[in-house]
Amino acid sequence: MTENMSCYVLCDPNKCTGCKACELACFAEHNKENNDVAYTVGTVTIPVTPKLYLTKTEKYCMPVQCKHCEDAPCLNACKKHAIYRDENKQVIVDQSKCIGCKDCVMACPFGAISILPVSDNGAVLLQKDKECVKAASKCDLCTGIEGGPACVRVCPNEALRLVDLNEEQLAKSIATANSLYDSRLS
Amino acid sequence: MTMGVHEIEDAKLIFNFGYNGADSHPIVQRRIVRAKQKGATIICADPRVTECARIADVHMQLKGGTNIALVNAMCNVVYNEGLVDQKFIDEKTVDYDAFVEVIKKYTPEYAETICHVPAETIRKAARMYAKAPSAMILYGMGVCQFGQAVDVVKALGSLALMTGNYGKPASGIGPVRGQNNVQGACDMGALPNNYPGYQNVTKPEIQEKFEKAWGVKLSNKVGVPLTHVPQRVLEEKDPKKQLHAYYIFGEDPVQSDPDAEEVREALEKLDFVVVQDIFMNKTAEFADVILPGTSWNEHDGVYSCCDRGFQRIRKVLEPPKGVKLDWEIICEISTAMGYKMKYKNTEEIWNELIDLCPNFAGATYAKLEKYGNIQWPCRSKDDSDKGTVVLHQGKFANPDGKGKFYTADWRPPQELENEEYPLSLSTVREVGHYSVRTMTGNCRTLRNLEDEPGWIQMNPADCEKLGIKHGDLVKVVNKRGWCITRCNATERVAKGATYMTYQWWIGCCNELTIGSNLDPVSNTPEYKYCNCRVEKLDDQAKAWEYVNTEYKSIRERMGIKMVGKEAV
Repeated sequence: MTENMSCYVLCDPNKCTGCKACELACFAEHNKENNDVAYTVGTVTIPVTPKLYLTKTEKYCMPVQCKHCEDAPCLNACKKHAIYRDENKQVIVDQSKCIGCKDCVMACPFGAISILPVSDNGAVLLQKDKECVKAASKCDLCTGIEGGPACVRVCPNEALRLVDLNEEQLAKSIATANSLYDSRLS
Repeated sequence: MTMGVHEIEDAKLIFNFGYNGADSHPIVQRRIVRAKQKGATIICADPRVTECARIADVHMQLKGGTNIALVNAMCNVVYNEGLVDQKFIDEKTVDYDAFVEVIKKYTPEYAETICHVPAETIRKAARMYAKAPSAMILYGMGVCQFGQAVDVVKALGSLALMTGNYGKPASGIGPVRGQNNVQGACDMGALPNNYPGYQNVTKPEIQEKFEKAWGVKLSNKVGVPLTHVPQRVLEEKDPKKQLHAYYIFGEDPVQSDPDAEEVREALEKLDFVVVQDIFMNKTAEFADVILPGTSWNEHDGVYSCCDRGFQRIRKVLEPPKGVKLDWEIICEISTAMGYKMKYKNTEEIWNELIDLCPNFAGATYAKLEKYGNIQWPCRSKDDSDKGTVVLHQGKFANPDGKGKFYTADWRPPQELENEEYPLSLSTVREVGHYSVRTMTGNCRTLRNLEDEPGWIQMNPADCEKLGIKHGDLVKVVNKRGWCITRCNATERVAKGATYMTYQWWIGCCNELTIGSNLDPVSNTPEYKYCNCRVEKLDDQAKAWEYVNTEYKSIRERMGIKMVGKEAV
């Protein structure tokens, strides 16, 4: 048996209505600790920087987010070693190492990474020339956050789900084997 | 609504007409999505590919301003193919023959020439609707905000009549109202022709009842509809009929009413303007007196949902010091004007109200606490009367108990595209910003998601013709006004048609909308149709400078404080 596969969040575009609750929950969840974002609007003093991106075309409407690829092009493209794989196999950006070179944005085949302003202590970080500090921003599956991915929790249409293919693949393998076994008997 | 919002989830078929729940009411759209997941058929009539159109089994992408031709054609198919519920028609309705006379000429082929929906698609939709075991119609502002609006509502109502789709679960017809508690405003008599509970001011016995209850003489004259205000200020010559004072409560007509320039002129000319609101807005800039009001979480009260459901709201925050509750302000003004109005709390107000309104009489605070939601009619205070989910069971609300058929011939919108202004413009909603953004524009999170100067949705082919691309600033102009906004090139809208949301201060589409074409019955303006021209702006940097300077100056005028790194 090979090693475990990483998990990712999958959207059913037939259920998504484009309400952006996922984007806002993602932002709020990731800025609770360092930027004091709480439940009321008055607590938000920084730009909204989600880690998933609602995308609309004529036929689709769904958030696009990181698939935590097993052979991650972003990780392999990053020259500053700012992207790493954690103990759960999730692909994570260390924004403190990121310089916003955009190689990962280029490398990602899904458009799941964006370069966005970085905030701390309730304010945007600034460079010497007063431009704001920007870094790669992408889904980290709310690693370390109680209750799992915020986007999945808040979606009013239950359009998002956390996919764990290790279990799903096993379940499907068993179902396939069962059906073949049954058909042989009959 | 003849049904309950919760019933949407159980619908077998939803005919969604001119209603974009995903942007206007995501919480209602959730019910439509669940219905679809449970196997409901969805028919959507909308000139744009909305989220509902995207998941619909049939999408009729009609040209704007042609609603009634499409509904008539569907009725025509139902009639000609014998898909009617004859027993229901015979027993429970009147005026069927006159109705049939009108729909006869609206063959799908004829309607196609008006609506640009293929005749076969109309047939398919009509058959699906008529053959469904029960079918529910939901409609929104795409029906109501036209010069011909009430006719379309009645025609949709007739489509439901001819197929017997009333008085049973998950059927009927539902206007999904534009704003939170707009149903409540109507229920409470904030209409020019009604006392609370839809009791007409012209009826002597009603007048007498309210005179007795309140101990004053009351007028039997119908008041001035909101949309007639500019005309009654600017054009009325008789000083006795002219309006001189305007008390505006939780509204921003400069932003929300059509033809903003005309509204501003009227407000300038009025002798006295009072604005009661929770934040500064464009209308408050014209006020002689501003009364700070309380927000939804700072006071108690009752809201009516669009399905006639009363629900309690409860205070969770103390208002800032010195701010009075809205009902206290009304009491004090009334007392100062000579009618002593005094209540201890909202329950006392509510009790007086329900005792004067037979349809609301049973919806006491105690029952609202107990059941959470009571849909009127609820006539008995007895615990067993929990209100009415489905209207028109057995008989209709008309005096004879019958459902009345009605439809009319199609009238085009007043202002059509021409050589000078070759595009049509319709106002729409977008998710995240509520109404004129008095509230959500002050919410930093939501403003971060979408901000000035908004967008104009255009078909990519039209953009290409004008040499503009997605994200460019453009000037939108017609004979009444102009604004600057960004181009949103999207296949979701048809060629020749453009759409703008109406809450932006800079990208303000109500500078262009038309205030003179009101529906003759509802007095609702034709927000959904006027002409315009989109102009390319060669100097984008200069245009952005205009947008930023203008935005900053409005915010400064409104006294909006900068918090954090707001400039980002």
